[in-house]
Amino acid sequence: MILDIYKDSLEYSAKDWKTLVILGVICFFSFLLLPAFLITGYNYRVINTAVHGVINGRDPLPDFEDLISMFVDGVKFVIVQILYLLVPAIIFLIFALVAGQTNGVAASAIMIIGCIITFVAFVVAELMAQMGICHMAYNDGAFSKAFAISEIKEVIDEIGWFECIATFLGLIIITLVILFVVSAIIGIIFTAFGLSTAILGINPSSIFILGALINILITMFLVGPYLSIFNSRSIGLLYTMQI
Amino acid sequence: MASITDCVVEGLKYPFNDIKKLLGVGILCVIIDLISIVFTIKTVDVTKMIIGTLEKTNATGFNLNFSQLPNGDIYLAIAMLVVGFIVSLFIMGYQYDVVNFSINRKDDLPGFGDIVGMFIKGVKYFLVCLVYSIPSMIVAFLAILVSNNSSLWSVIMVISVLLIIICYFILIMALNNMIAHDSLKKAFDFSEIRGNISNLGWVKYIGTILFTVIVFMIINIAIGIVMSFLTVIFAATINNQAIVISIVISVIEALFVTSYCSVFFSRVCGSIYREAVK
Repeated sequence: MILDIYKDSLEYSAKDWKTLVILGVICFFSFLLLPAFLITGYNYRVINTAVHGVINGRDPLPDFEDLISMFVDGVKFVIVQILYLLVPAIIFLIFALVAGQTNGVAASAIMIIGCIITFVAFVVAELMAQMGICHMAYNDGAFSKAFAISEIKEVIDEIGWFECIATFLGLIIITLVILFVVSAIIGIIFTAFGLSTAILGINPSSIFILGALINILITMFLVGPYLSIFNSRSIGLLYTMQI
Repeated sequence: MASITDCVVEGLKYPFNDIKKLLGVGILCVIIDLISIVFTIKTVDVTKMIIGTLEKTNATGFNLNFSQLPNGDIYLAIAMLVVGFIVSLFIMGYQYDVVNFSINRKDDLPGFGDIVGMFIKGVKYFLVCLVYSIPSMIVAFLAILVSNNSSLWSVIMVISVLLIIICYFILIMALNNMIAHDSLKKAFDFSEIRGNISNLGWVKYIGTILFTVIVFMIINIAIGIVMSFLTVIFAATINNQAIVISIVISVIEALFVTSYCSVFFSRVCGSIYREAVK
């Protein structure tokens, strides 16, 4: 089941390279803050398509029309994430405050326990947040559904907590592997170029700089958007896995 | 309507329906913006003058007489304040119209035909806002009275801020209620206001307003970042014109962004009422 999700998502994200480039351009301008919300809004749309679609179906990539509602969707996405992540943050703060009052071994013990609890809370909160966003998308973007904890918990129960966490772990691993492999391939190519020019007796530093630049550009304009669509699609499909 | 945010999306699109009228609001905003800029520059001058006077006369700021202040600019300042206030009344009148159009589901922007009517509506709008800010003002005044007692002071200040927030939430529905019935009395008809809000649901009501405020702030901050980038770039390329450039940039911002945001916000407020009475 998990492998099916990954396979579908990997194919889905590679459907249209133009979309990836457009997303990359938006990502490039995201220091202006508004485009950052457009990206999250696009991810929301991908999730929206996924939760209403079927796995291995012929879902099209969402298009870039109606930027304003995309922006508002992006704001929703970010608010839901922030509100869920507040929970582990508050837990961590409480432990830090308590540890600050005590001293010696007790303080470090409290801190370690606090870190473990925070980590567990973080995983749960992140899972709930992603599923909350899916649940919101499934219910036509009703904001209250993102915080209907009991409904979301039922959804996760039906999918299975273990499967959910395993899918998330897999996502993280696949993301890291793809990033690493792509930059390693480009790095190897340009190292080979640079070495050959060095053997020919030309200064190779410009080639290395060019290599680094191309690496950054490809990561930003192709791989980054690809991975973000991939992640959103996988999570959306995971939501549809309830029995 | 399926979700809260559809109102916000609709409100964000609404000002694009008639750009010319939006620019009309923008011009009003520009006037206020220019006045506030002139005021700031003048304040710097006046402060400089006061410091000069203080150095000459060996007086402290507290026992400086009014006659010792530089008097030439006082009348100008008062005149500008009055003009700014009147212009802001017009803007409020326009917001009144926008809310009215929103409640009546009209898709075009209100025009500027009825100047006098707009002014009167602005006065009504302003009065309601003023009355709703009275409780927090009284509490803040109490805080100033007890300012010797530091802990009590801060507690009262917090209460004042909370009051501002609570009053603001009620104020929006009160304004809507007044505009829908076109009578000043309805703005203080608390049972009907409460009925409207609980009809929509308090959580949904507050959530909608908070969400709108967040979107509003994001737009403002984002445009602010862009505009400050532009200001820095132009100021760096053109010599010795930093003040002029920043004035031009802020005029552009007032012309497009401030007007857009105020129309957007009023539109969403109107839609909230429309949802509530449905």
